[in-house]
Amino acid sequence: MNVLEIRNLTKKFDDFIAVDNMNLSVREGEIFGFLGANGAGKSTTINMVSSLLRTTKGEIELLGRNIAKHPKFAKSNIGIVPQDLAIYEEMTAYENVSFFAGLYGLRGSELKERTIEALDFVGLGDKHKSLPKNFSGGMKRRLNIACAIAHRPKLIIMDEPTVGIDPQSRNYILNSVRKLNRMGCTIIYTSHYMEEVEELCTRIAIVDHGKIIAEGSKEQLKSIITDTKEIWIAVKSEGAVDLESLKRLQGVTAVRLEDQTIKINSKAEINNLNWIIQQLIKDQVEIRSVEEQAPNLETVFLTLTGRNLRD
Amino acid sequence: MKNMLWLIRNTLRSTFRKKSSWIIYFALPLAGVILSMLIYGNTNGADLRVGIVNQDGDRPVTADAIRFVEELGHVKVTMTDEASLNKEIAAGNLDSGIVFGAGYEAAVREGRQPDIRIVSAKGAQVTAYAKAMLDGYVGNVAAIGQAAKGDAAKFDAVYAEYKKNGFKMDSDSLKDTSNVKSMTYQSIGFLLMFMMFSASNMTELILKEKENRTFLRLLASPVSARTYVLSNVLFTAFILLLQIVFTLVVMRYVLKIDSGVPFAVLLASLFLFSLAAIGLSLLLVAFSKNSRSAGALQTLVVTPTCLLSGCTFPPEIMPDTIQKIASFLPQSWLLDTVTELQSGRTFGSLYLNLAILVGFAAAFSLIAVYRFSRNNDVRQFI
Repeated sequence: MNVLEIRNLTKKFDDFIAVDNMNLSVREGEIFGFLGANGAGKSTTINMVSSLLRTTKGEIELLGRNIAKHPKFAKSNIGIVPQDLAIYEEMTAYENVSFFAGLYGLRGSELKERTIEALDFVGLGDKHKSLPKNFSGGMKRRLNIACAIAHRPKLIIMDEPTVGIDPQSRNYILNSVRKLNRMGCTIIYTSHYMEEVEELCTRIAIVDHGKIIAEGSKEQLKSIITDTKEIWIAVKSEGAVDLESLKRLQGVTAVRLEDQTIKINSKAEINNLNWIIQQLIKDQVEIRSVEEQAPNLETVFLTLTGRNLRD
Repeated sequence: MKNMLWLIRNTLRSTFRKKSSWIIYFALPLAGVILSMLIYGNTNGADLRVGIVNQDGDRPVTADAIRFVEELGHVKVTMTDEASLNKEIAAGNLDSGIVFGAGYEAAVREGRQPDIRIVSAKGAQVTAYAKAMLDGYVGNVAAIGQAAKGDAAKFDAVYAEYKKNGFKMDSDSLKDTSNVKSMTYQSIGFLLMFMMFSASNMTELILKEKENRTFLRLLASPVSARTYVLSNVLFTAFILLLQIVFTLVVMRYVLKIDSGVPFAVLLASLFLFSLAAIGLSLLLVAFSKNSRSAGALQTLVVTPTCLLSGCTFPPEIMPDTIQKIASFLPQSWLLDTVTELQSGRTFGSLYLNLAILVGFAAAFSLIAVYRFSRNNDVRQFI
């Protein structure tokens, strides 16, 4: 069963088309990765699914009901974890969760139970009387999640929930996402950290210029680019690397430099490794190691969109 | 409705948790009332402080005249000499002085006008009461002197009889309400100014919610934008009502300022004005991109309009043109309503003033709603 069904969804801002005739379905029990560079249209899509924006055209169905016709039903069954923290600094952790849960009609002992449950779930049970202004970035992110889950939504939309936090909090959040999923929640997850998406998501959609350009499991996406290989060359210093001369070599489709490693995408059928190494030697670049990588999501994304996810 | 109450409850709780809210919403209007009291309360109801200089020695008739002044109501007498009298008046320790010149008794015994000088630094209106009473008394005694025609024994006999009967005077104290009216007018003026600032502060919460992104979560919940804005309006109206009630109660029952207008009528008039203040603050929010620009716009609009309409000082001191401009401001209409009510008009007869206040509220709110609804950007709230 599909929890979310998007059909021919379009959103225009004057002449600018932010979402262009998008079709997408998210199945029950999935952790669905929604990938796109900045400005690709994913936030606009999420805002329309959350009823924060009106659609220009098309339909969105949640649990089989059109959200335009049943906005209260849709809102009651969705939990939003926005990228920017959406909590009140002057209210305690308990008051924050309780207030937002109260907007979904919870009252009395039920509200109290759900609030405590949500705070315990994100590991803030013992901090329920503390003000968020005294929290670390990771704790605030966890409170941001607690505010979205206390009303037990069927679909949780997490927009960059791990931005700017320490590895410990990040692991906690990733484990929480898995736990929520095991408890029966369907999750839409967006992130700029490709490894998170690769690790968590059962299915992924790549959005570019307002359109879904690829959709499927990790394996399905990787299989799209069998004609591409990725070569990683670790170098001693980045200074002498001339990326433009590498791009001009036959078969090379994209070149980028990250953490003293040159990452080259190339057509699989052309054996150009010797030429690449010769070019680097000519440029007096000291090579430390050379590896040919199996295609990963990053390669898929770069190949399909021509952009890095963090662009 | 449940969600609206939930939103109002939450806003009330977070608002009154801050000490600054108590100061802004209650202490500042009260400070305005106290300031008005200090400005207009000095001369209201206080005794007249009179210094008396007796240059006629221990003459019994002169001593009786001095006693007459001492026994007048609302007069506090201090015996002094002429040099000290002028100094004390100049220093503000005395309001006026009466000098009984040498030969006072001799003059009245002969039926002549005696030498009495009245000194004041505050004008005739301050001394008018004491002077009028004293003139009556001296006139009577001089009349006895005239009738005695220089016969000292006859004068003493008639004067003794006059003293025995006493100087019959019935006096009714009429309250001088002019100062109280001015004080009330200015207190209400300050209250209006703080109501407008308070309304702006509270509607700015809409923009602050937008800035801290909590509005995204609110609108993603089953709360509609309309419900949210309406809850803010109701919350603001509730706080303004509390502000009005608190200020009026303190004015009337603690500071004992009788505005001359029934409590409920003044409350109703001010509440109508609060609707206009809320409408204006919504308008400012609708035209502001963030809370900082709303704050700047609020100062730019509220402060000068309050000055023009006479909230901080009487409008009469301003040129006619400025006074005419003030007619386009809701504060002027409310202050005019208060003045008319103080002069005895009934609440119902001031329907034009009240309709204009409602009109201001409706016009401001409609423009704000139009502005809100024209915005298609979710970051702009609706």
